Amino acid sequence: MAAAADVRDMLDLPAEGQPRPTKKQKVVEKRPEGITRELYALLGERAPPIAINENKYKGRPKFMNKLRVRKWCMTPFANSARSDGLVLNHWQREHESIRPPAPEATQMELDETKEAGKEEAPKPQEQEYTFAKYNVKARLPQRYTDEEYNRHLKSDDWSREETDYLMDLAAEYDLRWVIIADRYDYQRHLDSEPDADAIVPAKQYRTMEQMKSRYYYIAATMLAIEHPPSEMSEAEFALHEQMLKFDPDRERDRKELAALQLNRTADEVREEAMLLEELKRITSNEQNFITERRELYSRLEVPISVGNTAMYQSSQGLSQLLQTLLQADKSKKRRSILGPEGAVPSPVSQTPTQTGALGRAETPTTNSAANNKKGSIASQTQPAVRTLTPAEEARYGVQHHERLSGGVQFRSDRAQKLTQAKSNVQTQKLAGALAELEIPVRLFMPTERVCRDFEKLIQSVNLLLDARKVSEKVESEIRVLEASKAERERRNVPENSSKDPEHPEVKTETEDGGNSMLESGAPTEGGEGETGQAGDSEAAADGAAEETPTKEDGGHKRSASVLSSVSDKSSKRQRR
Amino acid sequence: MNPSNPPQTAEYGGDEVSAIVLDPGYSTTRAGFAGEDAPKTLIPTYYGKYSADGQDKLIFGDDIFVTPRPGLSIHNPIGKDGIVEDWDMAEKVWEYSFTSRLTGAKPGNPFHNGLNDISADELPTDMELESEDKPLADSPLLMTEPAWNPAKAREKTIEIAMENWGTPAFYLARSGVLAAFASGKASGLVVDIGASNISITPVHDGMILKRGVQHSPLGGDYISAQIRALFKKNSPQPITITPHYLISSKTAVEAGQPPQAKYRTFAADKAPDASYRALLEERTLSEFKECVVQVWPGPNKLAATGPTGASNEEMARSSPGRPFEFPDGYNQVFGADRFRVVESLFDVKAAIPDADSPVPAPTQAQTIPELIKASLGGVDVDIRPHLLANVVVTGGSSLLYGFTDRLNHELMQLFPGPRVRISAPGNTAERRFGSWIGGSILASLGTFHQMWISKKEYDEHGANIVEKRCK
Repeated sequence: MAAAADVRDMLDLPAEGQPRPTKKQKVVEKRPEGITRELYALLGERAPPIAINENKYKGRPKFMNKLRVRKWCMTPFANSARSDGLVLNHWQREHESIRPPAPEATQMELDETKEAGKEEAPKPQEQEYTFAKYNVKARLPQRYTDEEYNRHLKSDDWSREETDYLMDLAAEYDLRWVIIADRYDYQRHLDSEPDADAIVPAKQYRTMEQMKSRYYYIAATMLAIEHPPSEMSEAEFALHEQMLKFDPDRERDRKELAALQLNRTADEVREEAMLLEELKRITSNEQNFITERRELYSRLEVPISVGNTAMYQSSQGLSQLLQTLLQADKSKKRRSILGPEGAVPSPVSQTPTQTGALGRAETPTTNSAANNKKGSIASQTQPAVRTLTPAEEARYGVQHHERLSGGVQFRSDRAQKLTQAKSNVQTQKLAGALAELEIPVRLFMPTERVCRDFEKLIQSVNLLLDARKVSEKVESEIRVLEASKAERERRNVPENSSKDPEHPEVKTETEDGGNSMLESGAPTEGGEGETGQAGDSEAAADGAAEETPTKEDGGHKRSASVLSSVSDKSSKRQRR
Repeated sequence: MNPSNPPQTAEYGGDEVSAIVLDPGYSTTRAGFAGEDAPKTLIPTYYGKYSADGQDKLIFGDDIFVTPRPGLSIHNPIGKDGIVEDWDMAEKVWEYSFTSRLTGAKPGNPFHNGLNDISADELPTDMELESEDKPLADSPLLMTEPAWNPAKAREKTIEIAMENWGTPAFYLARSGVLAAFASGKASGLVVDIGASNISITPVHDGMILKRGVQHSPLGGDYISAQIRALFKKNSPQPITITPHYLISSKTAVEAGQPPQAKYRTFAADKAPDASYRALLEERTLSEFKECVVQVWPGPNKLAATGPTGASNEEMARSSPGRPFEFPDGYNQVFGADRFRVVESLFDVKAAIPDADSPVPAPTQAQTIPELIKASLGGVDVDIRPHLLANVVVTGGSSLLYGFTDRLNHELMQLFPGPRVRISAPGNTAERRFGSWIGGSILASLGTFHQMWISKKEYDEHGANIVEKRCK
């Protein structure tokens, strides 16, 4: 509209704005119903704060006035839900059918119809009473006969009379057990022999569970008598099972527990509420922590750049890099890389302080684990706030370096570097050894301790690999030598046949020498002297030789498993 | 929605058969047509008896308050525990309650009103005459009873209704159940604070749980006795209540000053009985209860200390008092005392001792929290939380200012675990006539009409049928 006015201004057209505002006003201030237009105009612009008009009874619509009045009349009705045929009267719209006969009927006829009407009064209309259909009863099991009772339902605890009484009550109160248990008042030995009074049976108090148990037993049995379980429909069978499985003891225990729960003191209730609150807080904290850790991991997962960094050495290159990064950042529409202080890892650096601020409720391990990553930064930013005891230093992961290399590096990277040997083959072997120990190449939780142990592990693995290489070399040499020796012997068989018994000795010696390259060779030394026990000693030496590497291996494995279990533990702690 | 169309039956399930609902209480008797929202007749259950011209005469209804006739004595057919004691008079009082305004006088037999000439052979037989004499010949009757009504009294009631009043159908419902219905609940814990009794009735699915029913006499009359005890101890001088009929004129006096009124005196032979004076004093006390008395709202007992450390008594004293002027012009501002008179409903130690009060001193077991505890102890543990979430407060004395707040706090203290929810209608009439309204709802329901005990069934089975049907 403003645009239209502008256009008019420009073209020097007469202003046409006047009628429009009034129109608008009319739309805004609606005249309330029930006030005449003139009166409303007198009120002026400010509407009164109270409503002037009342909600009036609207009456019947006009077209209704033209309709013929339909009569209401007091009509007798009988309720088919009753057995005694009680007739009550209510107002009903007069039906066409029971209109009094046409006025031209004679007086006598009228009397007659009246008489007839009176006679028919109990059943004026054949139609069913509307509310009779709500007369429903609970479905009860078929009542047992004497024979059935004696055969299936006898019980030491329940007499026949009391069972009957129970079934009657159940039918009377439509299986509302609360009421049945409330009204249950069975007079025992009401009409039995008088000598029962001599014993004076204590009035037996039946609990609801006892009643239910008895009733369900009877109902299930009757159901089974009616249809044997093999012929039951699915629903029936389910019901049967359910009723048979009713356990009064368990139900009683449950009620006792419920009563305990109900009768808690205010303190207990408060405590429970507090604990629930605490639980909620802990779970939400855990959730937060997990998401934060995931974020951290995703950061760590960034592939290691292998490109040339020379171009970023100069300040110009750096600013260029910043520009490109900013550009990428903008296009991604993510949180700015430049934090408020210009520090790069804003979410990561916030985590430890946050978790620290959460207070003592946090487990200390999570603190230390979280701080481990940030330890150096934290110690730099707050140099002399307070001196930490060695225990605390360990806890918070504070460490002092004699010499720090420039720049930032990830501890995980350092660990990573360890796994890369000079040759590709060696690297693969290393990886194979780690896989055998079930340690991931990229450490799960590269805390300082873990890295240190990992370093040790890698060193020993390297040592092992070297040893293996040496042993393989020696073995192959032995094989070659043996082969040449055998060749020689074959050639010298005729001359050297007398030297036969010496042959195994030589063999053991060489074998032992080969095998004991790794060891001190002490166990084999004993076997060397006695040629008689050569076979024996050979076996022993072999066993020892075989045993030692496995032992060693086992030792390594154990240490590895300790290591991994440590890392597992720490990771678990972190997760918690 | 067209007002001339009947509502669909499915909408409200109602089917009115012009039944009469009679809700007799100790203090008042309520009667009216089922389907209405308040009883049409509300009369005191008290009746007056005096002798004039050598014969005994009876007065019913509000007339008993009006004229101090010579020798007029006031009686109540119902005993202190809410069970009828004087059946003849109870019947007369109840009959008055519906004949006075509901059924009215029948048009006389045209053969007998002297306006028609009838030949002798057309005279009606006596039998027809007899049937017309019955006051309730064409209205089913729904009556209420306390939950602890003995079987004898129930049988007597149906006997009166069937044989003396000639009702075609009858039903006897427990007042607790009806009060629960009136607040729209089929299950609930009904706390009824009446004139002579307070009662706790657990209701489950429209039936009372007999083992949970509790009642004690700490009702409105007990509070009146406490107020009287307070007046006796009042300083500077004890207060005596002089009813209006003994005062011919009065002049206004300053608060706490002795009254200046001209009293009416009656000669010994012209004076009404002492019970008449007691009745009228009770009216003044009712007014006092309505205007002044207040229940300490909690959260703790009046004797305890509040959350701020100051004792509740102290707090009550610091709250502004309420003035009250007695009929003789004496007036006074009541401070903390107004809390004290009802405190013993919750805390028996706070009862004001009065040696010559007709009401015996209460015991701890009679207080409302203890009653509720005992009541819940008598019902199955599974429904207790449900009952606590549906506490229905009814009865005229429950209108004491701050009563429901206090009850709520007491219940929360007793049962800190489950949710406690009190439903007390804010409308005065709904609170006073709770059980009547419930009866009005019940008797106008279409599904209820199969429950009536008809005349035929009564004839067949005898009065004992009431035990079988009205469970």
